[in-house]
Amino acid sequence: MTIEPLHPAARELPAPAGGLASYPPVERWSDWVEYDPVAWPRKVERRYALIPTICFNCEAACGLLAYVDKQTLQIQKFEGNPTHPGSRGRNCAKGPATLNQVYDPERIRQPLRRVGPRGGGHWEPVSWDEALDDIAGRIRRALLEGRQKEIMYHLGRPGHELVYLQRVFHAWGIDGHNSHTNVCSASARAGYAFWHGMDRPSPDHANARVILLLSSHLETGHYFNPHAQRIMEAKMRGAQVCVIDTRLSNTASMADWWLSPWPGSEAALLLAIANLLVQEGRYDREFVRRWTNWEEYLRSERPDLPVTFRAFEGALRELYAAYTPEFAEAESGVEAVKIREVARAVGRAGSALATHIWRNTAAGNLGGWQVARALEWIVVLMGAVSTEGGTAPSAWNKAIPAPPMMPPPGKVWSELLMPREYPLAFFEMSFLLPHLLREGRGKLAMYFTRVYNPVWTNPDGMSWVEMLGDEAKVERHACLTPVWSETAWFADYVLPMGVGSERHDLMSQETHAARWIGFRQPVLRVALERQGKTFDWTWQAHEAAGLGQVWEEDEFWIALSWRIDPDGALGIRKYFESPYRPGQMLRVEEFYRWIFEHSVAGLPEAARAEGLTPLAYMRKYGSFLVEDGVYRTHEQPVPAPDLEGAIVDPVTKVAAKNGAAVGVEIDGQVCLGFPTPSRKLEFFSATLKAWKWPEQAVPGYIRSHVARGEIDRDRGEMVLLPTFRLPTLIHTRSGNAKWLYEISHTNPLWLHPEDAARVGVTTDDLLKVATRIGYFVDRVWVTEAIRPGVVACSHHLGRWRLSEDAGGERWSTALVDLRQTAPGQWRMRQIHGVRPFQSDDRDSQRIWWEEAGVHQNLTFPVQPDPVSGQHCWHQKVTVSRPGPDDRYGDIFVDTAKSFEVYREWLALARPAPGPGGLRRPLWLPRAFKPDPSAYRLEGGA
Amino acid sequence: MRYGFVIDQRKCIGCHACTVACKEENRVPLGAFRTWVKYVERGTFPDTRRYFAVLRCNHCDSAPCVTICPTVALYRRADGIVDFDGARCIGCKSCMQACPYDALYIDPDTHTAAKCNYCAHRVEVGLEPACVIVCPEQAIVAGDLDNPSATIARLVATEQVQVRKPEQGTRPKVFYLGADASALSPTLQKTSERFMWAQRSADDLDLVRMVAAAHDSVEADGTLSRSVYDVSHLPRPWGWRVAAYLWTKSIAAGALLVSALGLLAGAAEGGRLTGLVAPIVTVLFLALTTALLIGDLKRPDRFHYILTKGNRTSWLVWGAWILMAYGAVALAWLLAALADHVGLLWLLAIPAIVLGAAAAGYSAFLFRQAEGRDFWQSPLLLPQLLVAALVAGAACLIPLHVMLGGEPGKLAALALAFSASLVLYAMVLLAELFGAHSGLDVRRAAHLITRGPLRRGFWVGVVGGGLALPLILVWFGTPGAVLASVLALVGLWIYEDLWVKAGQSLPLS
Repeated sequence: MTIEPLHPAARELPAPAGGLASYPPVERWSDWVEYDPVAWPRKVERRYALIPTICFNCEAACGLLAYVDKQTLQIQKFEGNPTHPGSRGRNCAKGPATLNQVYDPERIRQPLRRVGPRGGGHWEPVSWDEALDDIAGRIRRALLEGRQKEIMYHLGRPGHELVYLQRVFHAWGIDGHNSHTNVCSASARAGYAFWHGMDRPSPDHANARVILLLSSHLETGHYFNPHAQRIMEAKMRGAQVCVIDTRLSNTASMADWWLSPWPGSEAALLLAIANLLVQEGRYDREFVRRWTNWEEYLRSERPDLPVTFRAFEGALRELYAAYTPEFAEAESGVEAVKIREVARAVGRAGSALATHIWRNTAAGNLGGWQVARALEWIVVLMGAVSTEGGTAPSAWNKAIPAPPMMPPPGKVWSELLMPREYPLAFFEMSFLLPHLLREGRGKLAMYFTRVYNPVWTNPDGMSWVEMLGDEAKVERHACLTPVWSETAWFADYVLPMGVGSERHDLMSQETHAARWIGFRQPVLRVALERQGKTFDWTWQAHEAAGLGQVWEEDEFWIALSWRIDPDGALGIRKYFESPYRPGQMLRVEEFYRWIFEHSVAGLPEAARAEGLTPLAYMRKYGSFLVEDGVYRTHEQPVPAPDLEGAIVDPVTKVAAKNGAAVGVEIDGQVCLGFPTPSRKLEFFSATLKAWKWPEQAVPGYIRSHVARGEIDRDRGEMVLLPTFRLPTLIHTRSGNAKWLYEISHTNPLWLHPEDAARVGVTTDDLLKVATRIGYFVDRVWVTEAIRPGVVACSHHLGRWRLSEDAGGERWSTALVDLRQTAPGQWRMRQIHGVRPFQSDDRDSQRIWWEEAGVHQNLTFPVQPDPVSGQHCWHQKVTVSRPGPDDRYGDIFVDTAKSFEVYREWLALARPAPGPGGLRRPLWLPRAFKPDPSAYRLEGGA
Repeated sequence: MRYGFVIDQRKCIGCHACTVACKEENRVPLGAFRTWVKYVERGTFPDTRRYFAVLRCNHCDSAPCVTICPTVALYRRADGIVDFDGARCIGCKSCMQACPYDALYIDPDTHTAAKCNYCAHRVEVGLEPACVIVCPEQAIVAGDLDNPSATIARLVATEQVQVRKPEQGTRPKVFYLGADASALSPTLQKTSERFMWAQRSADDLDLVRMVAAAHDSVEADGTLSRSVYDVSHLPRPWGWRVAAYLWTKSIAAGALLVSALGLLAGAAEGGRLTGLVAPIVTVLFLALTTALLIGDLKRPDRFHYILTKGNRTSWLVWGAWILMAYGAVALAWLLAALADHVGLLWLLAIPAIVLGAAAAGYSAFLFRQAEGRDFWQSPLLLPQLLVAALVAGAACLIPLHVMLGGEPGKLAALALAFSASLVLYAMVLLAELFGAHSGLDVRRAAHLITRGPLRRGFWVGVVGGGLALPLILVWFGTPGAVLASVLALVGLWIYEDLWVKAGQSLPLS
């Protein structure tokens, strides 16, 4: 059997082994015959349309290929999409589990409106028209009355929506995009952005000689499956892998070195490696000379020295001399000899050093952003920036095509998103919202949550319950979700949105040294349209296929925007009109058609070669490789037309044209450089210095709030590491996947035998873990896979619901009793765990597990890092054996104490204004940047 | 052409994608798995590591499940795939006992056996199995082991590969590359009562606790690995019905067997006891045996498939024919006795003895085909079953003889036969449990009975009540002999029960 070259990426697929092919040949995707697996060995033929889409479970955006039964219109299965350049036809467990999510008997099939008090648990069906009219009316009123800041959209899983929604919210003229990023990756992002202006690393794992991970990319994280493929590819070729992670992850188990540092000491460990490289001269001198802003450092910080690279090298040696392996051992507990070993391996790797940190310690610790900075410092020292086998900045390995007609940003700054105390916060201070409202900083007229579950995911969820319960603070709350969640329970509208195979999104992720796009599409609609049916709205196709009134989200925003501005008087509607049919409402396929026709280099030509339109090409293949082998983007010369009229600053060497930097002169040639103020890699951050953090202007080590010295083990104190994920689950989006929950459904506390003996517990016993604001009770898992003094608990489990048959997926939630025993004092007790239930899926009667895990996040106070704004997840806790009244899953929280802790951490911040009276450095990325005029802090918000 | 798998554990990251893709492809119900990933951990912090193993059907070239399957519901295809046909399966669960790898389960919807079938329905259209294509690491390699240019054949030829339990002689076609030995061998693992992110099923947990209680000091060895993630398998597929079947069959076999032996030895004349009662007991207990066998099927409605779709290699099928033949002889015996035709009885005595022994003993060959269960592979099983039939036969004839008011002289002869066979039985039992064990699992199973959680039943019910006491009581007149017989029968039943339980208590994977 031969496979036509589908795509450049497809050619990388190995020849089918043993005569068997991995995938049906693409020319037969429109009509593929396979035998029914259940009827087998009787040969019952089933005919399928194979329609590509993109997985929606994690952010990796792996390709999926839906097998839609042409007769029943049921999706039989999701396989990988072999033409997808990132995932190359392969998936993790969460890919095929998409099928559970589509056919989940618990899913919400029509819009619901609250009846009675919010959170009271009574609902009535409502028509989409009614819901849209009410929401649009409230938004219109707010816009007309100048209450732009009272509209907020809060999302969990972003994707192409970042651009899509930027269009929407800029058209509305609001500053209303709130994300989950500050409970996730903001610290790591900040660390990278201070270096190179882009906020993620993109390691070229496949070509690395050494892979240094502060992550668990062989099991979780952005971008697990694509990265795991390439990490192991390199390892099989002889690359060495070092994993720095306090607990033994599966990734660490596969590594050549597992270093288990005391949580929060990682920067010390990394700087010790950097120091060894510096002291032993094992770094790429030429790269550091050309591409770091060492001159700026010397001028600013060492006026005593001549501005020569040799002087800088001397200064470096002095600066990091204290970071000996022995010092790092004292801080981290990792043997100095191992640190030396790893440093040597790194030194040998040269510029083929691939590294990654995404959440891990950066998300856990005060100063976590300096860990990312220390890691990137090693990359910079080795000259491994954007090299083959090295680590590139993310944006160079992504393709973000421009949409039709981008509205200009609004001239509004929401202090509920970006309060002035956190001018450098890398994303919105999302998790502080209840406290900001409690302080009277504003209110919300319309609050959307979308695939976001702050009550459950965020720290201090009880403060969210209090906030959402207060209709004076949150006047309307619409939850856009395919499934019930803890947060949906406290909404006014629960609006069912599609899962991965029921949406449109244009995805691009930095999975490797290439740039690609992936097209998420509603496969049932596509299948029905191929049969000649037509629909105005995707939800109609979903209804026709038996899913219910499940909306496609892009269409939701189009419909809503038209209702906000029906006559176009607000200047909003025009952005939601068809580029092909003037004055008519934009159809979702037109939006993508326009992008594919205008904004993706090479796509129209590739489509033409197959006799297809660009849209038809993307509907057929679901992905397109824009550019492969992307390396050394910073070295590219600035194109001559851009240089024309540009002026090179004699001191900084930055080339600027009309006030905007276009490049930097390096050894006489003007190169593209990096999107930083110096256009170079900023070893020294003038921004940090100017914005009141001079002591952190170079990569350094901030002792964490849970550093060894802060913990008195004799008093029962330990560090709780609550951040790790499991390979099979994804935050709160996999509770509807029975196959995943069957594999993983409980989150016991990992405890080293030494600690278990000290506390007097063994595996299966209960343990009480007390934080500053409350406690939780969970079972113990005694293991040699965790450092003594540290207790670890996966954040993936502990889902709950308040009503027996609504409000939560019964595959994955415990029924709980939640009550306020005194103002602000909340007590949760599990009434029962997961139980078999009746449904049209016979498997629901076969549920054999009982535990749903324990919801630890409720007991965490907010701990915002004063620089990055990231919530510092690790908790200083006291562990003890539970009392006679304590039961598995018990939780107690005092929100008065949460507010107290919030104020303590707030006091660590160094507020705006910064230079120029600004709220935030203009150059620093922000998700949806408002107009520069909104950056000025003029005596008030 | 021989399809097989190479599982490259050097690359496998333990992500469970294969598990879920398989469930999706084959609609595997909750609680069952056709492929799964086991995790074990070993070492002391910070020198700790976790190891993974992808476990599934081995598509053995010499597949015990195919041999034992009574209805050819399991079969090896010409291309080496061991496939199954649920429409032929009667749900006897013998395949689950035969497979040393825990590969089979009973589908809760169809009540028939299922397992990995190499996605034969995909192979049919030229596609690799679902687990192969989903694997992020391409750690599962499928292909033709006989094709030297196929990747799989090259890997098997040029890399150090291992298979699970090669000593079972099953010729597995799933080859592991770079696997940790302990992840593949349950005897190198310590079990846990829960896993790192999952519970064990309640049934599974009971069994694990029981077995853990019986493990000896070897288990404290720090070089053993701890099982930290695994899936549950149906614990002890064969329950009380199978133990009861062995017992009723002993009685059925023994009643006529002892009578026929008595007839030939001149100790009986074909009177009411040997001529009428004994065959009636045999026929009744054969009926009971059959009822128990059918009752234990997950698809009792298909019991006749054993005869109509019989697999000639399966001792389940041979057993069925033996039992039927034996039943026919017993009926003939009864008719001859009713007709008072002693000559015919003499003629029937030899077939009665041969078929009685066969009825008692064929189970030894059946359990021998249950290759997954090492404890059941004992060479003493055949003598044990034969002697048990003698004990059961004598023990059941004694009270009947008394009830019929038989002569004391004949009672003495019966008592002598009873005692002699009971002594023999005790010797076989002691040799089996305390003699040299052929392997760790055999020793552990024996320990479960003699020292572990089953020990009370053994020492009190079997050794005390079923052997020692009857051997004494039998000499204390008629009531003593009757009581001894009843106690011995109870003891036999208890032992069958312990033996069936213990044999299935140790993990296969």
